[in-house]
Amino acid sequence: MIRIKGGKVYDPAHGVDAELRDVYVRDGRIVPAPAAGAPGDEEYDCTGMVIMAGAIDLHTHIGGGKVNIARAMLPEDHRATGVGRTALTRSGSGHAAPSTFSAGYRYAEMGYTACFEPAMLPSNARQAHMEMGDTPIVDKGAYALLGNDDFLLRLLAGKSDPAMVRNYVAWTLSATQALGIKAVNPGGISAFKFNARKLDVDEPAPHYGVTPRAILAALTRALQELGVPHPLHVHASNLGVPGNVDSTLATMDAAEGRPIHLTHIQFHSYGAEGDRKFSSGAARIAEAINRRRNVTADVGQILFGQTITASGDSMAQYRNSRLAHPNKWVCMDIECDAGCGVVPFRYRDQSFVNALQWAIGLEIFLLVDDPWRVFLTTDHPNGAPFTGYPHLVRLLMDRGFRNDRLAQIHPDAAAASTVGRIQREYSLYEIAIMTRAAPARILGLADRGHLAAGAAADIVAYLDQPDREAMFMQPEYVFKDGQLVARRGRVVHVTRGATHTVKPEFDRSIERPLREFFDRYQTVSFDNVPIDGGEMIDCGSREVLVHPCAGRT
Amino acid sequence: MSSVLQHVSCPFCGLLCDDLRVRLEDDAVNVEANGCERSRVQFSAMPAVPAACLVDGTQVPFEQALARAVSILSSARMPLLLAAGVDVAGMRSMLELADRIGAVVDHAATESLMRNVQVLQDTGWVSTTLSEVRNRADLVVVVGADVVGRFPRLFERCIDNPSTLFDAARKPPEVIFVGAQTPARSADRQIAVEVSRLGELFAALRALHGGARLDAARVAGVAVADLAALLARMQQARYGVIVWAAADFAFPHAELAIQSLCELVQALNATTRFSGLPLGGTDGDVTAHQVITWQSGLPLRTRFTRTGPKYDPHRYSAQRLLADGEADALLYVAALDTAREPPVSRVPTIVLGRAGMKSPAQTAVHIPVATPGVDQAGHLYRTDNVVAVRVRKLVERGLPAAHEVLAQIVARLGEERN
Repeated sequence: MIRIKGGKVYDPAHGVDAELRDVYVRDGRIVPAPAAGAPGDEEYDCTGMVIMAGAIDLHTHIGGGKVNIARAMLPEDHRATGVGRTALTRSGSGHAAPSTFSAGYRYAEMGYTACFEPAMLPSNARQAHMEMGDTPIVDKGAYALLGNDDFLLRLLAGKSDPAMVRNYVAWTLSATQALGIKAVNPGGISAFKFNARKLDVDEPAPHYGVTPRAILAALTRALQELGVPHPLHVHASNLGVPGNVDSTLATMDAAEGRPIHLTHIQFHSYGAEGDRKFSSGAARIAEAINRRRNVTADVGQILFGQTITASGDSMAQYRNSRLAHPNKWVCMDIECDAGCGVVPFRYRDQSFVNALQWAIGLEIFLLVDDPWRVFLTTDHPNGAPFTGYPHLVRLLMDRGFRNDRLAQIHPDAAAASTVGRIQREYSLYEIAIMTRAAPARILGLADRGHLAAGAAADIVAYLDQPDREAMFMQPEYVFKDGQLVARRGRVVHVTRGATHTVKPEFDRSIERPLREFFDRYQTVSFDNVPIDGGEMIDCGSREVLVHPCAGRT
Repeated sequence: MSSVLQHVSCPFCGLLCDDLRVRLEDDAVNVEANGCERSRVQFSAMPAVPAACLVDGTQVPFEQALARAVSILSSARMPLLLAAGVDVAGMRSMLELADRIGAVVDHAATESLMRNVQVLQDTGWVSTTLSEVRNRADLVVVVGADVVGRFPRLFERCIDNPSTLFDAARKPPEVIFVGAQTPARSADRQIAVEVSRLGELFAALRALHGGARLDAARVAGVAVADLAALLARMQQARYGVIVWAAADFAFPHAELAIQSLCELVQALNATTRFSGLPLGGTDGDVTAHQVITWQSGLPLRTRFTRTGPKYDPHRYSAQRLLADGEADALLYVAALDTAREPPVSRVPTIVLGRAGMKSPAQTAVHIPVATPGVDQAGHLYRTDNVVAVRVRKLVERGLPAAHEVLAQIVARLGEERN
């Protein structure tokens, strides 16, 4: 038995806020305190430290084709960041688009124990799982992309029975070993293949005549009926377009009250006011989230510096390609399934637009009341690499630090933002909610993100330092499934992570039209699409964990 | 004993067709439907005699071959690991070995693959995949010298299909062959150009697209009026595709020609949809590129040093390292095609070859290995970089997979290299 002794425990899933208590671990699980005085076999003295469950990143592009395009495109990003192998760890490189091994080690060293790839194309699912399989220590999971695939659009255009949509969604989850479903610019990626350059929420998509609203309604409904814990994960229409706040609100409403998660909402919170026709829509977005209990969001904060944006949204990425820095970019149409675009970006604090984007993200964090419904992300690497999280935590927790940074950005952007007038500082308890308890809850991971008996022993101990950036950059101890994997920000033991999935029940009759679709139109055979559990092990997963769905079928 | 399998994946070119029907008969694999000539030959190429390990040309037990391989690699100062046909698992093991011994990793086809990678690193591109071409293309421009020969079922699978998602009766896409190749079908147009002058041709098209007036009457031997007509046709396409095989671009600085082609495609998207379809992937080159890129962050021609992986497309070319005598050990892995024999060099060489492959006489160690998609399951990347095809195990001949042999080498290295 392991005893983690003397720390201040933050476990919001159970209302525990800075309580002095010991945490006990046996066989990879948290266990009740033994009879008084029973010593642990191993003890870690965490007196004065902050104890939290392992952090969970519910939106990070760590695996899949577009990430690998980003790596291949940026040898200059990787030349200066090489890390040699050690007896324990493999070599690697990369800042904005790190190699898989490096990403796993850095996440673990920062106290993260689970990461979720948010844009797994079904046609590219094997690659996503193989890259995640080579991302050590942390557990992984992925959301399969639907909403621009021709099979679904045909179903919706043909006004098919919602049961078919539901069965197709369930088949996709199962065949691709996914935990959830994501819609990226619903209908828009398909529309771009027909040479449309924009698609509003109520605009009929070319050829199919289906609106993004109808796609969102169908997918949120299917997931609710299947009882999939994670709501539809939505990258809304009109990413990055000034004035897109209206389509973002329309996207929320398209869920018709059903659960919906809006991702990197910072990129969707723009007004079109002022001399530069670019303004903050954060107040309206935050108010809308506060009022709609069915809505959750992650922020997709930008941080200044060089990064690369990798997105399924080929329509938006083509539009943004003129801003590429350095000037190179990739767009792809993919398999009548989806698309992607990869555009390097350098966010500059002296650019009005970039500076205001930075402020808009912070405004959303600070104006959304409920930390259970807003999540800490940079949309790695699109807003910034995930290694910026400790800096972001400090921006949220330390008003003086935040205002010092605000004083350094483009003055017109600083003046246009309300950030300087917001008093709020996040507490450690709230940080524990938004990076642990809430993501576990919204992903349906019953035994993660908390510290009660029975939970997986993913545990982090931090030195309680006033400099929250330093504190969150280098935890003292990180335990993964009860094993000490990192000590003072250095990996000390390498493990393989599991894969979180759902497998809702469905009616196999959907396979008949799917088989016909693949036979007639696709270039892979239907029988070769599904990935089974054995293949997942070949891909590099330690094991496939199946989380329950509370479906009514 | 005989059995028939459906939906079998063929690992022998970058199209990775997965619709073959094969008959298994006493460990012989015969393609019954949906194959091409190459797949029929490759699947049936099964040596009659049991494959043996060789050390200096003499048959030895597996353990002895392994010991010699370990001894060569662990004493090398500039080991070179050269892939010429490995699956994802094989590449993963090769990279683990490279990391351990500080090796350079390259692929036999990198010379052509790098022509595309350098464009990706310099300007990027707009590209598409096989199913998109199959359903959307109304204009296909086939550029090069032997695209159809290299990818035999391309037309059958992506261009000659009778119906698409959007048309129950497809009007066949217009196909224009540009370069030094005979059109696949009599109806197809041809613009004859020397392959080495394709860069000029695409630069001129790019300039015309940008509104420039060309003073020359002909570029690369083609009348400027014909170029203007070709450009106009491209601009009228609803979904145009330029297909090329980088392997055809065998001339100095060919990446610049491909860059011009890709810049034209990027520019055409200002008004319509146009994409490139780079064809490659044969002998696992796309697979090798993908795996080394995700594991190291860098493409092929990377050396694993104490301070991390270093990429240099010129310095770490296998051909150059062997020609200049810089490499002092070569591990060569070609599990897919017996014709991919190792380069002849004076460097102590270890070959993991598809059973039936011959090594040069001076080869130090030769270990026959399984073929992914025949003797072992595995993953190989299709030409479009998107679909990782699951290839199956069809027969059991007692051959070790390349990744298993490589893992055993790693296990025997000991920790003296740490």
